[in-house]
Formats: sequence, structure tokens, C-alpha cells
Amino acid sequence: MREFLNELFTKRYKYDFSYILSLSISILLALILGAVIMLILGYNPIEGYGALIKGAFGSPRGIGDTLAKTVTLAMTGLAMAVAAKAGMFNVGGEGQLFLGAMAAAIVGAELTGVSPIIAIPLCLLAAMAAGGAYASIPAVLKVRLGVNEVITTIMMNSIAIYLCVYLSNGPLKTTERGIASGTQAIDPEFKFTRLITSSTLTQSIFIAAVIALVVWYFMSKTAQGYEQRLTGQNYEFSRYSGFKTNRIAIISMIISGAICGLVGMFEVFGIHGRFIESISKEFYFDGMLVAMIMRYNPIGIVVISIFFAALKMGSTAMEMKVGISSELILVVQSIIIFFMAAENGISRILKEKAAIRKAKREYLAAKAGNV
Amino acid sequence: MSNDIAVNMKNITVRFVETLANDDISLSIKKGEIFAIVGENGAGKTTLMNVLAGQIQPTLGSVEILGSTVTTFSPTAAIKAGIGMVHQHFMLIDSFTVAQNIVLGHEPKKPAKFGIFFDNKAAVRFTEDLIREYGLEVPPNARVRDLGVGLQQRVEILKALALGSKVLILDEPTAVLTPSETDELFKIIRKLKEKGHTIIIITHKLYEVMEISDRVAVLRAGKLAGIEETKNLSESKLASMMVGHELSFESIPRDETVKTPVLDIKNLTVSNARGLIAINDLNLTINSGEIVGIAGVEGNGQSELAQAITGLRPALKGSIYLNGIEITKQSPEKIRKLGLAHIPEDRIKTGLSKQASIWENLLVGKQRRREFAWLKLHLRRDKISKYSKEVYNQFDVRGAGIHIPVGSLSGGNMQKIVVGREFSFENTRAYVISQPTRGLDIAAMQFIHKQIINKRNEGAAILLISADLDEIFMLSDRICTLFEGKITAEFDPKTASKEKVGLAMLTHSKEEVCENS
Amino acid sequence: MSEFLAAFFTVFNVMLFQNTLRTATPIVLAGLGGLFTDHAGIMNIGMDGMMLIGAFTAVMGTYYFQSAFMGIVLAIVVGVLLGLFFGLFVIKFKSDEFIIGVALNIFAGGITIFLLRTLTGVKGAFPLPKSLGLPTVSIPLLDKIPIINELFNNNSILVYICWLLVIICYLVVYKTPYGFRLRAAGEHPQALRSIGVSPDFIKYSASVICGILCCLAGAHLSLGYLTQFSENMSASRGFIAFACIIFGRSNPIKVFLAALLFGFFDALGLRLQNIIPANLTLIIPYAATIFVLVIAALQSKRKSKLSELKLNKV
Repeated sequence: MREFLNELFTKRYKYDFSYILSLSISILLALILGAVIMLILGYNPIEGYGALIKGAFGSPRGIGDTLAKTVTLAMTGLAMAVAAKAGMFNVGGEGQLFLGAMAAAIVGAELTGVSPIIAIPLCLLAAMAAGGAYASIPAVLKVRLGVNEVITTIMMNSIAIYLCVYLSNGPLKTTERGIASGTQAIDPEFKFTRLITSSTLTQSIFIAAVIALVVWYFMSKTAQGYEQRLTGQNYEFSRYSGFKTNRIAIISMIISGAICGLVGMFEVFGIHGRFIESISKEFYFDGMLVAMIMRYNPIGIVVISIFFAALKMGSTAMEMKVGISSELILVVQSIIIFFMAAENGISRILKEKAAIRKAKREYLAAKAGNV
Repeated sequence: MSNDIAVNMKNITVRFVETLANDDISLSIKKGEIFAIVGENGAGKTTLMNVLAGQIQPTLGSVEILGSTVTTFSPTAAIKAGIGMVHQHFMLIDSFTVAQNIVLGHEPKKPAKFGIFFDNKAAVRFTEDLIREYGLEVPPNARVRDLGVGLQQRVEILKALALGSKVLILDEPTAVLTPSETDELFKIIRKLKEKGHTIIIITHKLYEVMEISDRVAVLRAGKLAGIEETKNLSESKLASMMVGHELSFESIPRDETVKTPVLDIKNLTVSNARGLIAINDLNLTINSGEIVGIAGVEGNGQSELAQAITGLRPALKGSIYLNGIEITKQSPEKIRKLGLAHIPEDRIKTGLSKQASIWENLLVGKQRRREFAWLKLHLRRDKISKYSKEVYNQFDVRGAGIHIPVGSLSGGNMQKIVVGREFSFENTRAYVISQPTRGLDIAAMQFIHKQIINKRNEGAAILLISADLDEIFMLSDRICTLFEGKITAEFDPKTASKEKVGLAMLTHSKEEVCENS
Repeated sequence: MSEFLAAFFTVFNVMLFQNTLRTATPIVLAGLGGLFTDHAGIMNIGMDGMMLIGAFTAVMGTYYFQSAFMGIVLAIVVGVLLGLFFGLFVIKFKSDEFIIGVALNIFAGGITIFLLRTLTGVKGAFPLPKSLGLPTVSIPLLDKIPIINELFNNNSILVYICWLLVIICYLVVYKTPYGFRLRAAGEHPQALRSIGVSPDFIKYSASVICGILCCLAGAHLSLGYLTQFSENMSASRGFIAFACIIFGRSNPIKVFLAALLFGFFDALGLRLQNIIPANLTLIIPYAATIFVLVIAALQSKRKSKLSELKLNKV
């Protein structure tokens, strides 16, 4: 017990606490800024945020949608975090998500008639394999040739998205009448059951919970996670230590891509029942924001995802009821990052100045004491 | 009276967050003298000079330069007042030419075309004039990255002179120079003195102080320990002023051990980061129970040798054997498994992760062992904590427990973490140890020296690379000199003189050494 | 055979090269901006967001003042502000360049759509009358020469400014005192500080130049030919510009050539749409970017190997 308390009050945890404080202040300030923008544009912020909260939590359907959004955010956020902790910036999750959705939709349609117990795991695997394989390409390019993975993953987003759009409008277009674009529908038997009527919350939340647990365990409790963490912190040190740095980079990207692929599959199996062009509306970028705000901490990502999901879902209600464009929330979210960075920078500068002043004071006091 | 004073520093105090770097130092330096500042690592020499050069704002105290009081501490103000500083780490832009470096900050502009373009010809002319005036030969059109350190240093000196400096501060100028280059530098310093410049030289090499300086200030733990005319001093007196008491080195007992070859290097050729040959056809055998010290001026292939042996840099040619097994093309991981540990020259860049906790840093290399990782996967934190605490205590690390980030420790304690970790592999018999005590205080240094000799007594084969010749002499059973990527001579530290070793650090072949000796 | 030839000439004709110049221009402009921050030692992956905001402000400025000139002026003003904003975080607060860059991109996507919807009530695209587009410049004598005329005459004014800027940037970076200080700030900021020049000031200036040029790139995107703003219209061009900077090693001339190469692929994609489905041809510029980066990496790897071999012989 004493040991535990000792640990709790070491610098590390103090640091965590000050981080949570700075995060809370930043969120609060960003929300206030959002309110100010509403005021300037002639809306009532209390009404606006009221509608937002009501939309997110005011009805079973609202809560369901918020939880469903939490799943997407937390999954994409974790995907970003797994790679980023190992020093790989996967900005290409959107493309991996599209390919995962496409793979799951193709396999799901092909396996029509097969028992869901066999088919669904196969579709899961297909989605993860597609996302993971696609993510491995920029990882290999980075490791072997030193090509900046930020650029390649972004380029590969566009490639995957246009490719999938082409497929769903061309060779893989459904023969069903009345469907403008999209692939062949998967067997309705495979579709995830909705947990709350008319909300988008489906059984996928259970898979997501398991994945989140596994990712957390992997990142913070295993030797592999430990090696990845240290590699992300100091690559030279990792090489010196004899870690398999190339493998670590590639594996972390594959895991990241596989999770993104899975998110794509959730969309197909949970909501649309087939691949459609608008399967994701930049979901991954929302997840990246969440991951960066929480500094790639898996528990933090899951927790804060609930908050951001509520903002996101509530903002749609806000748009409908009060007329404030829901994009305001995206602005608020990115401003949180700026506030945190600013807070960090300002407090660092102030601390340095305070330290200089304190040093002078202490020195003078000691001097006076001696005399 | 005040007309002969170049620099007058009064009650200079610099207090950093953790340390008191300068404590109430007052000294005045006369115009036209060569003034040496000596002291141990961390005694506050560089800090004091950074105050003079406007790089650091003192907590307390005032500075007068050439009769005028300094009101704002900034590099610009210091330059205006006539101060020029040659830093230990050169402030040169590698991709620029010598002339471009020299005129940076006061670039000549072409009078035609609205006077907006850089005038390279004028820059070269300016540089040539400067070279002629001071007799410091450098090629004005060569790129700085293609010059050796000796020439780069001249560029730094010229740069300071170009800015009109009357008082020139040289921070550890001889650390990177060969003895003959040092002689050249001293000639330059004397010439500058003749021209009326004031020179302040920071060093910890006492014989250099005796040779070049007119007066000496000794700093000890941030305080001024004394100022003396050099002619009234002896090296041993200086040394005791530096340390505060008569130097006593308790000798660490050495056991006689059975010697069998452990690390065998054959015809090794390695290139450096820029693709130039750094180690050239090198042969070396290290036996169990002995420490082989590599003496050499920095930049003669020491880093590349250590990296090649430990698998961090590919060998172009040749082979390395560890206990008879070839490790030339193996991964660092495999080499570690085969029984080689490595204390790298740069503990912060290579040897540690500053953000990670102490236990995370101590676990490295053992994280997949069954005792620490169940199924090689699940980390057993209780066992790891126990082991980490053992190393932590055994190596006398002073900090707030094993859970704090390594970055919050002092340099000496960081190095203890590295040494503690590398010395705790049970089956390891060979060690590559680079610069083990660089920047450490004497207590930490002696502690680490003891650990190294203990390892030797246990029968380990140790390759010791150090820029500190005293350290090499103190620890080694054999000394090999490394010059331009080749072993040029071998000495027995018991019988060899430092002068002979120093000479061999600068010449190509053993014959030359013999001829000269 | 004749069918093939016909198809060939629908793709490879003067229009292709005309389109190349047109599509390359925003990438050139952003690339020129980004090479300043690159020389100053700042990794700026927020260029795409800067372009997007530039495109938006140019259209809004044009719309409110009914003048493309005012649109450009507004874009430049916003560019200065964006550069200072980015610099504040990266230089003063020492924030992570990657995080600030990504946040800036997401912010740009959000704020442009939000403002578009609240200010104009339009979703998707906001077109302006063609007459409010950037003026084109016709050079009197050029129209006598057939192909040259089609290629180099009657382009929008920003195209000519862009070509001029390539040369100006080259001169600034390599031939002026500022250029020397800029490169020194990136390579060894401490060295600049020690001679009394503030590296932070140089870095801020680079960031502001980058902001201005990225916003001009955006303005060309929205006013150059289409005269409309549409959501997320930068379409990762800021990142392509970033790739050009890597490929061109931050040399304005080489960055320009690299951007032309991408412009060519982009235009090729457009021309190929007559033959191949549009969604596939849209992939071409992105795939080409990766391809070129890989080639550049392979080349630098081979170079270092070559130098090793040469030394071995000596």
C-alpha cells in the first residue's frame, strides 16, 4: 500500500494530473469560444448547447447513436495511437477503412447463405487483412527507403477511396434496381443486430470493447508494447538496444490498419448492409484528433471518445433545431488542440521565467541568512 | 588604471533551476593578456564565459567590457562591446563556404541591382584580407564540411575577428586538436596577443595552461578558487587548486587473470555517415581479463569502430569474431545475445530514452526473458521492479525511485543507469565502452572506473574508447593508438609515457614513432 | 489502329500541356511557400489547410467586394495571419509540428465549411459569376505563334506571377543575405544566435511567406479557372506540394519542375477520362506522388552506395 502511494505521488502521476487539468481547461475554453461564435452569428449559445446535449443524451436513440459514434471514434483513435506510439504516423486510416469495408462487403456478399457463425469471423478477418496489408505498404517504404509515411499514407487515402468508389460504381455495382451506387448487399443474416431501436448502435460495440481491451493490454502490459513504446520515444536507443526496429514499425502499422479495416466492416455490417461510397465521412480524422488530444493514451482515448461522440451526434441535432452548422463542433475540436499546445507553451515559458526569479530569490535569501 | 582592464566581472552569480553554476565570481582581465580559466567538468567555466558573451543572463552581478558597463545581456550587445567567442561546438554552417560563414550576419551586398544581392566576391575579398591580416591560412571558397576540425576552428576565430572582437574567448579549443594543431593554435594566440587582443582560454589541460597563459583563474564547483600569475604556479599546485585537496587516486586492485581471446577483429573497414572510410583495415584482439584502451584524437574512427562491433554500422570489409563466432553481419540483437554489451558514447541520444521511466530503461535487453515476461509477452511488473531496484541500489543511483523518467536524473546518475544495465547481463563476457565518464564529476567517475575494473577482474574482455588520455592510462592493460582509422601503435601503460602515446595518436606508422622517440 | 491513334490524340494534344500548366500552378505556389519553412527547419504539413483557407477567403473576398483583386488581397492578409499563427505554435510554443499541422488541416476543413454554410447558406459548392474570376493576360505578339500561344498566352494572371515567383524565390534563397540567414536558421540556429541574428525571427518570416504563398495557391484554385469554392477543394494538393519539396530538395527550380510533373499526371488523368472511368484516372496524381518519392529515395540510396564504392578503390 505504501509502495502504491509512493508511486502515486512520484512525478509521473503528478504529470498526468496536470495534463488532465490542462485538458479540461482547454476543452472549457474551446466550448466558450464556440459559444462566442454562436453569439456573434446571432444564435443563443444556451439554446445551441442545450439542443446539443439533448440530441446526444436526451433519448434512447440519441444515447445509442452517441455510443455508436464512440465506437468509431475510439477505434480510429486507438488505431492512430498504436502506430504513433511506435513512432509511425498513420494518416492513412481513411483509406484503410474504405478497403476494409470493401473487403468485408465483398466477402459478406460472396458468402451469402453460409452460417453467420462462420461467415462473420471470415468477414472480420477479410476487413482486418485488407486494412492491415494496405497499411503495411507505407511502413515498408519508410523502413526500407526512408520515405516519409505521412505523405504516402495521405496519398494512399485518395487512392483507396477513388478505387473503392470506382469498384462500387463499376465492376462491383449491385444489380438491384433503385440503388444508385454500392456493391451487392451482404446476406441480411450477417447484419449486426441493433441494440436500440432506430439507433445505429449495434453488436459491433462488443467487438470494439474486446479490441479496445486487447489494444490497451498490448500497449501497456506486453513486452512487444514496451518495445514499441521505447522505439517511438528514441529510435536510436531502440536500435542500440537490439530491438527489431523494422519489424516493430511494420507490425504497429499493420495493427493500426487492421483496426481501421474493422471500423469499415462495422459500417457495412452494422448500418448499410453493403459498401457505399459515403461509407465514411472522414471518420479517421476525427479519431486522429482524439488520439492526439489524449497523447496516444489508450484509456484516455476511450474515455474522451464518449465526450467527442456526444459533441458530434449532438451537433447534428443542434443544426436541425437551432440552425447552427454542425461543422462548428469540428472547429471546436481542433481548437482544443491549439489551446492545449498554447497552454503547454505558455506554461513552459512562464515556468522558465518563474524558475529564474525563484533562483534569484533563493540565492538572495541564502546570502542574507549567511550574513 | 581602468584603461588597462579588458573585462571586469563583478559578483557574477548564475543560478539554474537545479544548480548554482557560478557563485559570486569577481575577476578582472587585463588588456592584451592571455588569461586561462581552468576547472573540472561542471565547475562553471563555460557558464561564466557565456555570461560574458551575452548568451546567458546572470542572476546577479555586473560586467564591464573595455570600460563600458553591460546593460543588456545579448550576443549582439556582447559583439558590439568587442567580445568574440569560439564555442566548443562550432557555430558554423556546414553547407556554406568559409567566406560565407565569415560574413554571415554582416553580408556584403552588390552595389548594382538595388543592393539586395549577396556579394560573394566581396565576401571572399573580405575573407582574404582578414586571412592576410592575421596570417590564419584557410581556403575561403572551401565548404566548411570539407575541412578538418583544426581548420574549422580557424574559421571560427576569423569569424570572431571579422566581427571586430578585441577580447576572444576560446572554449576548450584543444579538446579536438592534435598536439601539432595545438602548437599551431598557440602560435596564433600569441600572434593575436601581439596585435593587442585579449585572449581568454578555457581548458582543463594543465600543461597547456602553463605553456600559454599569463594568468590563471581556477574555478571549483561554481566558485572562484583563486587567481594567480602563471609563473608563480606549478602543475601540481594548479591541480590541487582545481580539486580542492591533494589528488589521491586510490588504486583499484587488479587480479591476474587467465587470458584467452574473446573479441577478434580482422581487417575491418567501415565507412562513416558521409560514406568516407572511417576504419581502415583494422586488426585487434581483446582477451578475457584485460582492458584494451583506444587512445586517439576524436574523429579518427572511434565511434565507427564501436558501432561496427556492436552491429549498429555495417562493415564494408573484414570480420569480427566473438568467442569464435562471427558477428560481422549479425543484428545488434543477436550480438547482444551472443554476449556483448555496449556503453555508447552518447548516453542521451543512444543509451537511454529520457521520457521512459528508470525501470523501463533498465529492462532493455531482458524484456523477453521468461523471468520478466510470461510467454515472452506479458510483462511481470513485480519481478521487473525487484530487479530494477537491485540494480538501482547496487549502482548507487540517486533519484526518486524507479518510476520517474530517466530525463529527470543528473548526468552522472543517467550514466549509472546505462552502466548498471549493461553490466547486469549474466552471460556477457565482452564489453565495448565508449567515453564512460564524459562530463561526470569526480565521484561518479571513480565509481564507474571501479565498476569497469571489477568487470575486468571477473574475466571480461573490455574495449575502452575514451578521449581522456588519463582515463585510458588509469584503466587499460594495453593501449592502442587509433589514427585515421588504423591502429598505429601499442603500448604498455606501465612503461609508456604520455608523450609517446600522444605522438603515436598523430602518426601513421610505428616506424615514425620509433624514429621520433 | 486509326481508332487507337484517335484515342491517343484525344489524350496527347496541346490541351494536355495546357492543363498541365494549369493544374501545376497551385502546387508550384504552395511548394514555393513550403520550401521556405523547409529551409528554416520547420516541417509544415499544414500547407493543405492553409491552401483551403486561402481558397475560401479569396472567394469570399471576391464575393463581398465584387472584385477578384480584393479577393487576392484578403487571401494574402489571411496568409500572413496563418503564417504568424503557425509560427507562434511551432516557434514560440515549441509545439509538435506534426500535431499542429494536422490540427490546422482539420481546423481548415471545419472552419471553411462552417463559415460557408453560415455566411452564404450554401452546402457543397459556392460558385461566383465567371466574370469575377482572375483576369487573364494576353500577350500581344504571342498570338501569332500557334502552339506557344495556346500554351503560354491568355493564362490567368496568377500563372504568370507564379512563374515569376519561381525565379524570385530562387534568387531570394540562394542569392540574397536573407536566403543565407534562412538556410543557416534551419541548419544551425544556434550559430545565427551567437552572431546576434535572431533565428526565430527568420523562422517566423519563413512561416509568413509560406502562409502567403499557400493562400495564393488556394486563391488560384478557387479563382483561377473555376471561380467557385467547394468543400475540401484542396484535395491533398498541399501534401503533393510537400512531396515536391522533398523531391526537389527545396530548390525552387527543381520544386517547380517536380510540380510540373505532377501537373502533367493530373492533366493526364483528366484527359484520360474520355477513355478510362474518371474515378480511376483521379488516382493517377496520388499514385505518381508515391512513385516519385520512391524513385527519389532509391536514387539517394544508390548515390551513397556509389560514394562508398569509389572510396573503396582509393
